[in-house]
Amino acid sequence: MSASRRDFLKRTGWGAMGLTAAAVAGRTPATWAATAPYPEWIPASTKPPKRGGVLTRASQWDPPLIDPRLTQSVGLFQFAGLVSSRLIRYSFPEEVSGPSDLSLKPDLAESWQSSPDSRVWTFKLRQGVKWQNVPPLNGREFVAADVKYCFEQYAKEGVQSFNFREIESMETPDKYTLRVHLNTPNVFFPQSVAESVAVIFSREVLEEDGDLKKRMIGTGPFILKEHNRKVRIVLTRNPDYYDKGRPYVDEYVILSTPDTATRFAAFRAGQSDFVSLATPSEAELLRKTNPNVQVQAYHNTLTPFGVALAQDRPPFNDVRVRRAISMAIDRQKQVDTVYEGHGIIGWGVPYIYYQDKQPTAKDLGPWWQYRPAEAKKLLAEAGHPNGFTTTLFYYEYFPQMTSQVQLVQSDLKKNLNIDVKITKLDYTTYYGRYVEGKWDGLSWGFQSGHAVGLDERTYQYMHSKSTKNFFKVNDPQIDELTTKLRQTPDRAEQAKITKKIVDREFDQVLRMWMPYDNGFLMVQPYMRNGSPLAIRRTDAYGSPTIARVWLDK
Amino acid sequence: MYKYVIRRLLLAVPVLLLSSLIVFGLMRVMPGDALTALMAESGNVGERELKKLRKDLGLDKPYYEQYLLWVWQMVSFNPGDSIFTNEPIPVSLKKAIPVTVELAALAMILGLVIAIPIGVLSATRQDTPPDYAGRVVAVSGLSLPDFWLGTLVITFAAIWFRWIPPIGYVSFWESPWRNLQQFLLPAAVLGFRLSAATMRMTRSTVLEVLREDYVRTAWAKGLGGRIVVYKHALKNALIPVVTIVGGQLGVLLAGTVVVETIFALPGMGRLTVEAILYRDYPVVQTNVMLVAATLVTLNLIVDLTYAWLDPRIRYS
Repeated sequence: MSASRRDFLKRTGWGAMGLTAAAVAGRTPATWAATAPYPEWIPASTKPPKRGGVLTRASQWDPPLIDPRLTQSVGLFQFAGLVSSRLIRYSFPEEVSGPSDLSLKPDLAESWQSSPDSRVWTFKLRQGVKWQNVPPLNGREFVAADVKYCFEQYAKEGVQSFNFREIESMETPDKYTLRVHLNTPNVFFPQSVAESVAVIFSREVLEEDGDLKKRMIGTGPFILKEHNRKVRIVLTRNPDYYDKGRPYVDEYVILSTPDTATRFAAFRAGQSDFVSLATPSEAELLRKTNPNVQVQAYHNTLTPFGVALAQDRPPFNDVRVRRAISMAIDRQKQVDTVYEGHGIIGWGVPYIYYQDKQPTAKDLGPWWQYRPAEAKKLLAEAGHPNGFTTTLFYYEYFPQMTSQVQLVQSDLKKNLNIDVKITKLDYTTYYGRYVEGKWDGLSWGFQSGHAVGLDERTYQYMHSKSTKNFFKVNDPQIDELTTKLRQTPDRAEQAKITKKIVDREFDQVLRMWMPYDNGFLMVQPYMRNGSPLAIRRTDAYGSPTIARVWLDK
Repeated sequence: MYKYVIRRLLLAVPVLLLSSLIVFGLMRVMPGDALTALMAESGNVGERELKKLRKDLGLDKPYYEQYLLWVWQMVSFNPGDSIFTNEPIPVSLKKAIPVTVELAALAMILGLVIAIPIGVLSATRQDTPPDYAGRVVAVSGLSLPDFWLGTLVITFAAIWFRWIPPIGYVSFWESPWRNLQQFLLPAAVLGFRLSAATMRMTRSTVLEVLREDYVRTAWAKGLGGRIVVYKHALKNALIPVVTIVGGQLGVLLAGTVVVETIFALPGMGRLTVEAILYRDYPVVQTNVMLVAATLVTLNLIVDLTYAWLDPRIRYS
């Protein structure tokens, strides 16, 4: 009862806001894309940063637990990267010229280099780094053995074991050097340890408590002062943080606010300093009441969602069927209606790894164009002139997803006479069924949102032997290319191989990506340096960005 | 009287037992378990590892064994720990119950404060503008769902007054003023809905009682209007109202789920819904049993209240 009420609330709330915005502005939502006045990038402030203040955010996410070995929940990683550091990190907004710069920077490791075959990686650690001055660590020095212990624990059990089990062995020649031997060459290993989820936790807490569910102590810019589930998370400035002078704010408070309308209201009332929005009409509505806020029109480099087909069995093991379905879906209509023109048509590998400009439907090849007549012809050639009946199950991550699912259903019925029976599931049922992989028909598939690295987006999600191959990709060429990619150190060569992988994926319609919102970040007028990067959002897995935010009050 | 109470308490045992079987069964019928919810998304956990973790949590035991173990834990007042957070369930409940009790109590008080005077006014001014206004309010309360009203209230409070109840629960003992700020609006939303049925019932029963012979006698004796209405008529009119209020306690508890979500209050409703979504069996089962026991007790109290209101009612 309550779930359906909440669902209805979400839908009516968002729908009403969209309609109201359109009505108030007197134009159709689709025209927003052309007129959106918001910049894609807000450069870092040139003013000298001010110290102090409390940064507050009403957040929809509430971490189920705080053990980074047991969950990759965005609820945890909206702050874990602020309490704990990683060996290497991605750049902060003030260090880049634009949102697509994904260069790596030193965090706990000052430098890193590989052996010529990319199998042995040596990390030189920053000296003088202290654990937070909280018992039982009490500010002791951070050393290489800490990283070795942490990586060993990640490999032993939990959600990150797949990544860390590629480590064959580790050695610590001295206090500040860690040498990692991999099972197979991987040029992207530094990217893997730079992911937001690869935080370094402390040996003492794990050994004393037996798990990491109660305490989180790290070497990061903030100390976890309070974690009161369903109420708030309070982080206070770590005075011993190695990057002297940072962070700028005294406290960062995350308020658990599950309802969308309440988060918007909190932002309006000044109880929240920043908020993420999906559509232009939402942005416009909030700007009407809060005209001085800063808005960044975000541009996604990939979509996490698409139609996954049971391509290990008929009829979807026939590439003609996959191509026909792909051509029968009007993606642009989804972008124009569901995302009011501010969305991407959908691709799974971040384009910034193989080209400069955002791909158009044309770039994605013939099967990504909306060509219903040809789709019907191709389906007939595949032996289904009268269509067929199939199923599609999904979990509604956000209200727009249900509209998209229904549009796909309608397109397939209208253009191919394929009857799609939709089942909407709750989170746990969906994951149980989807990840297990023993399903027929279609699913609204996903790839998890935390990863930035190319290896994660190619080898780990597409190689037939990977446990993250949820889309059931089983293509020898993809296997060969993704393996080759992780053995190729040259950037230009990487881009060429990545393009081949992407071309192959689109040609064979191995994953049928669907449109996704570009979104907006709206921040209060006094918040500085909160601009999100290409795949890193300030408020979620990209939370370390908060370490550089300051309040101009 | 005592015999009646004991008989009612004994009757509660099969009710609770049946509830326990239903909630236990329903949770096991739902696909997936806590580990699926926790780890599956990462795709990094092998089936062998999941089996080991299920064994550690006792999820691999036969259902009857899990049920008996849980019943034993419940009767020994040790419902165990949350599968998800490892937090002892009594600790979670200790945090959530005061929130829901405060919200429900305030909603009930506000509901009654709104409902009874307006109901009486409607009855004593039948078919006049105040009566029409009262009836409109009552019908609105019945028609407008909590989630819609709650969303409107919080949205327009932000737009018009640049104010919403402070997010981030604080207890009454920490900061009474902040706590009241947090609870008044959600309690009003919840109470408004609750007041509607009570208002209508108060109006109709007061109308009925005002036509009784003894009330006419009271008027004939020259008693003042207030004394006739409030001393002679209202007490007798309240018995069906009490029945309605008692029956609405379940609705009230269900309403807290939605209102707690909108106003970000960490009560029983949110705790239970989250536990259902994450298949946190022990938490869901304990919460449902607690609600069942509360409703059984409150219904008993309502029945006993009849005897106080109407001296003719005797349970012995």
